[in-house]
Amino acid sequence: MTNVYTLLKITDKLTLQFGSDPTGRFFLCLVTIMWILVGIYAQKYKEHQKHNARFFTFYILTWVMLASLTMAANYLTMYLCFEFMTLLSMPLVLHNGTPESIAAAKKYLFYSIFGATLGLMGMFFVNTYGTTLAFTAGGVLDPAKIAGHETLILWVAFLSIAGFGAKAGLFPLHAWLPTAHPVAPAPASAVLSGCITKAGVLCIIRLVYQIYGVQLLRGTWVQMALIILALITVFMGSMMAFGEDLMKKRFAFSTVSQVSYVLLGVFTMNETALLGALLHAAYHSIIKDGLFLCAGTIIFWTHKEHVSEMKGLGRKMPVTFGSLAIFSLGLVGIPPFAGFLSKWYLASGSLSEGLPVLSWLAPAILLLSALLTAGYLFPICIHGFFPAEGEPEAEGKEGSALMLVPILILAAATVLIGIFASPLKDALQAAAATMF
Amino acid sequence: MNGIAILIVIMLPILGGALLPLLDFDARKARMYYVMAIVLATSVLCLSLISGSEGTQFVLYHLTSTIDIAFRIDRFGSVFALLVSVLWPLSTLYAFEYMSHSHKRNRFFGFFTMSFGITLGVAFSGNLITMYLFYELLTLSTLPLITHDGSREAKVAGVKYLVYSIAGATAAFIGMIAVLTRGGSLEFNVIGLGSAVTEANRNFLDAAFLFMFFGFGVKAALFPLHGWLPTAGVAPTPVTALLHAVAVVKSGVFAIGRVVYYTYDAGYLAGSIVQKVALWFAAFTIVYGTVMAWKELHFKKRLAYSTVSNLSYILFAFLLATPQGLTAGLLHMIFHGLMKIALFFVAGAVMHQSGKTYVTELGGFAKAMPISFGVFTIASVALIGVPPLCGFLSKYAIAVAAVDEGSVSGYLGIAALLISAVFTSMYLLTIVVKAYFPGEGFDPASLKDVKEANWYMTLPLIALAVLMIVLGCLPGGLTQFIAGTLADAFPGL
Amino acid sequence: MNFVQNIPALSILLLMFCGIVCLVLPARWARHLADCAIALVCAASVVLWVAFLRGQEVFTYSMGEIGAPFGNELRAGMLEAAAATLFSAVTLLSILGGRAHLRADIGKKKVNLYYISVLFLLCSMLALVYTNDLFTAYVFVEINTITACGIVMSKEDGYTLAASMRYFIMSLIGSGLFLIAVSILYALTGHLLMSNIQEEVAALYASGQYRAPLQVSIALMGVGLSLKSALWPFSSWLPDAHSSASASSSAMLSGLVLKSFIFLLVKVFYRVVGVTIIPTHAILDLLLVFGILGMIMGSVNALFERDIKRMLAYSSIGQIGYIFCGIGLGTIAGVAAAMVQIAVHACTKAMLFCAAGGLMDASGGSKKFKDLEGAGRRDTYAGVAFIVGTLSMIGIPFFGGFITKLSLVTAAVEVGGWRNTLSILAIIVSTILTAIYYINVLAIIFRGAETGPTTAREKLREQWKKQMRLDTEYELAIVLFILLNLAIGLQSDRLMDVIRTGLAMFG
Repeated sequence: MTNVYTLLKITDKLTLQFGSDPTGRFFLCLVTIMWILVGIYAQKYKEHQKHNARFFTFYILTWVMLASLTMAANYLTMYLCFEFMTLLSMPLVLHNGTPESIAAAKKYLFYSIFGATLGLMGMFFVNTYGTTLAFTAGGVLDPAKIAGHETLILWVAFLSIAGFGAKAGLFPLHAWLPTAHPVAPAPASAVLSGCITKAGVLCIIRLVYQIYGVQLLRGTWVQMALIILALITVFMGSMMAFGEDLMKKRFAFSTVSQVSYVLLGVFTMNETALLGALLHAAYHSIIKDGLFLCAGTIIFWTHKEHVSEMKGLGRKMPVTFGSLAIFSLGLVGIPPFAGFLSKWYLASGSLSEGLPVLSWLAPAILLLSALLTAGYLFPICIHGFFPAEGEPEAEGKEGSALMLVPILILAAATVLIGIFASPLKDALQAAAATMF
Repeated sequence: MNGIAILIVIMLPILGGALLPLLDFDARKARMYYVMAIVLATSVLCLSLISGSEGTQFVLYHLTSTIDIAFRIDRFGSVFALLVSVLWPLSTLYAFEYMSHSHKRNRFFGFFTMSFGITLGVAFSGNLITMYLFYELLTLSTLPLITHDGSREAKVAGVKYLVYSIAGATAAFIGMIAVLTRGGSLEFNVIGLGSAVTEANRNFLDAAFLFMFFGFGVKAALFPLHGWLPTAGVAPTPVTALLHAVAVVKSGVFAIGRVVYYTYDAGYLAGSIVQKVALWFAAFTIVYGTVMAWKELHFKKRLAYSTVSNLSYILFAFLLATPQGLTAGLLHMIFHGLMKIALFFVAGAVMHQSGKTYVTELGGFAKAMPISFGVFTIASVALIGVPPLCGFLSKYAIAVAAVDEGSVSGYLGIAALLISAVFTSMYLLTIVVKAYFPGEGFDPASLKDVKEANWYMTLPLIALAVLMIVLGCLPGGLTQFIAGTLADAFPGL
Repeated sequence: MNFVQNIPALSILLLMFCGIVCLVLPARWARHLADCAIALVCAASVVLWVAFLRGQEVFTYSMGEIGAPFGNELRAGMLEAAAATLFSAVTLLSILGGRAHLRADIGKKKVNLYYISVLFLLCSMLALVYTNDLFTAYVFVEINTITACGIVMSKEDGYTLAASMRYFIMSLIGSGLFLIAVSILYALTGHLLMSNIQEEVAALYASGQYRAPLQVSIALMGVGLSLKSALWPFSSWLPDAHSSASASSSAMLSGLVLKSFIFLLVKVFYRVVGVTIIPTHAILDLLLVFGILGMIMGSVNALFERDIKRMLAYSSIGQIGYIFCGIGLGTIAGVAAAMVQIAVHACTKAMLFCAAGGLMDASGGSKKFKDLEGAGRRDTYAGVAFIVGTLSMIGIPFFGGFITKLSLVTAAVEVGGWRNTLSILAIIVSTILTAIYYINVLAIIFRGAETGPTTAREKLREQWKKQMRLDTEYELAIVLFILLNLAIGLQSDRLMDVIRTGLAMFG
């Protein structure tokens, strides 16, 4: 960490510190760009909803906390930002004020708080068994103090990491995601899926690499268990998406699955896998934000929320569905679109790690999931452009520039970053290297 | 000279309060000035004693050859006295407005003020018997406050309170005398039981400890002796807030702290079977109180169960019998006092302004009473334990103390703490969400008569909110003050 | 032989003499004579007590200079002197405190008889305190019974007469059992003087002869005296008798008469049976269990009463239970606790009965709670007395009740086994119950109207307030009672010393 700035010294060991490192900067840029794009989109979308002052207030405040989280230099600061981010993003979920949205917001709140509480538990133990709470490459635990308590520390590590995984939709704490997305306004769903889940990912990265340290965790049952959880999530998410008709919920399950790709890479604990993870974080943000913006556009103009109702809609909304097609191709992982490279690195990282069974199981499941992804994404576009004979065509029209331009930018990014992969890949490779 | 000052600081509110029904003010203003003058004078005097006269000891009377009525100003007592003397003026101000439409106000403020002096008596006691004296007097002086409105419910609550409290105090008394007869000392002079601890006496002293633990545990709302607290929610809010979130219940916790560190000494308890038993009860109460709070829909009862749970955080910390446990417990004693009193004040403000008593009826209130619910949100977030508010620090301190102590019971307590944190968020944040986001179908016109309370009630709220934030970010002075207890309680350190 | 050694005999004789003289005096003179006589006896007892504090040895006093084993003997030690002082002081204060009621309750013609009864009652109590001879004890037990009934019956209404009859019958049963026990002991040992009997009893115990009759006689003595001192369940006569009598009478009965029998019982156990033998006897366990039950049942019954004097009477049953619990524990500490309770309860209960009289006065003469509302405000002395009484009963330090609780708990904690557990539980339960009904009374008598009197009842109360007569003697008595209670609370060390020294001298 460089440029460490201490905002507040609460006690000797507890300080609020911010600093910048490559990983943090990456996430900061990612979420900020997404936030701006979705923000532009929301200027038009807001005609669809009430209480906009409140919406945008919390929208901006959530970004502030999220940005602060990316710049957090120690466990305490990260936890503080995490909690506040949860509290401030909750009103975005319940914005529409329906009973379902309020219930969904509470579910989001309590799953997140439960996860954060488990994460907090980690802090208690790190305080005693570690040298500092600040993020340090290689971990902060003191081998002398841990001696004799390894089981305890491993359990603490497992639970705290899985706890933060709640925000990232890791099984079994993922249930809030599919409930929250359909009821939230589209811009909110976009940032929720695209960016806020990445906060969970970042927290896990910090814990795994810079608090507990790869040396402690590599090869232990903790690593295996976490990878298994990630794989379950990958598979389950895709399966559930496959069967879901409500579009935003389908995308939500997709998020559950895709973010666990990232987590898989993080848990595999080698440079290649981590690179794959970071790349996929970027790709997924872009693509998922784009998907949700498209879904929002469709809802905005046609009030249709179910995929089955959208047959033939592509003809009426070509830009939207065209972008949708691009995003789908990217998410499935078809070169040269963004999405292929990350999966490649994830698979090779997993294979090179050498874990029993999981080494080959992970790539296999990734492949399976890719097929399922295709299965749940392609039909939308296909049926959108080529409805079957005799099916009634849906009504709709294309939207305003404010909504289309961000979508197009994202679509363009999906293509361009896929083709010109090197700059991003190099930057992220450097970032990943700092973690070891 | 300082010894007499202790006596003055205790007797001034007691006599002032006792005189009130005799002076029988008719005019509201006259009563207000009188009461506030006494309360403020006492607080100021108390604060000056805490800061300047530490170490004073004063024997008032030798009751028998082995028992004195004595006072002392040590850091442990000063911490409690600090909490009480800061919060009493705020609560008195709040109570003026809250009770403005009530009857028998002279009697109410008489006993309310007397309780102040008696609580200070508990804080400044120099031995267990003196503390027992004031402990019993506290029960008697707070009883009329619970039964104040004279309804059937209030009388039942009063009887329940009396039965539980007297049972507990008598059991504690028996434990005290048991220690005394075996050669232990009841003085808070920190040599522990000294020579009384022999193999032969061990079981006897263990039993005596349990008597005192469960006896004082009644006021500290330990399961299964907590039953009086939720029922006492029928009392007027200033009573529930100050007395049953701060003065009375913290006296119970304080008493147990005195028994653990200043009568028995930490070394005796560490690792013993009674410590395990006590820790398990505390851990269970933490979870029990939280779950019951979550299930409860009556606003004040929900907060009462929350108090039950939080008191056991403090007990748990004390029972760890380590220096960190002591300081963590004291820190939570203060912070919880601030947070809980703020929460109760808001509940009271809601009741006072609109008559609503159930959490399900609070939809949209945040707009009608913005200051109150703003403070409620701050206090809730603090109680859940989100940094940088004060509640985080005390919970963190307790958990870290448990990790350092390293026993299985300690870890159990950490688990209880974490479960409780999650449930706390559930039972508090649902209120916050409901108040701010009542959802569609809410008719704003239904709240058009509900206005924010006047400055008597909102000023204390704002002051408390500021304290919660400032102490959360800059606790240095306070933690240092609390750390001063270690010199006494752990002389070897 | 120095002068103080004459005091016991002189006190008894003086009281007897004055009692007889009162027969022929007009009412006012009788009253003054009684007051003076009792005051004088009290002063004399104090002198005797001080002498013991200064180192006087235990002494025996042969009546008529006829030596043992044929003559009659008195024996005095620290404890006896203290008891005598206590009894006479409380008698005096009770008469002072209840004087107004005496005027109202007793017909003009009967006033002399009342004071005669009081004088003979005190005389018999002192005799029981000082006597060293079993038969004399029996005689004065009977005199005590008769005069006690007399002071109850002097208030002539049907209810009182019925209650006193019941009291009389139960008492006589008790005396009868006592007499049988004395006869058995005489038959076994051939002596009537207590110290002589003790030697014989010790010898008989050692040899194992006549074990059964001995046990039976001790048991009969215990039961007989317990009957007279209202040990539960032999206490059914008490509520009626004490509540229907006039204020002074109730004060004396609850405060003193019961205690004099207990004093005799302890004396018998110590001096006739002996400290080493008595703990082996099952009678102690019986007294303990019944004492504990009395502690609880007395309080439970008091809880349900709506009549203040009956409530105080049941409260007495409870407090007597404490005394028997202390005796039943079988240790010196237990007996010491019992003695302390005797002293404290005498002061407190007498005070409360006098105060109850005052409250009744302020409520048009009614005893019912619903009429007593606010009485504490109308009659402030009674109100304060009840506050002091409640604080003492709950066991707040500085008051006498704290000392009894302290001593009883100290004694209970040291005893092992089931006795320990039972007594501790009983103390906890009875403290709770006592607190409830006394605080309930406080709440009732201090209930004030917020505004002027509105209901009919409240207007009535205003009237009563105007009808109250201020009585200096009553006020003086209440103040002195409070001071006495506080004195015990504040000087308990000295009191415990007295008791311990006294018990050491006792056997």
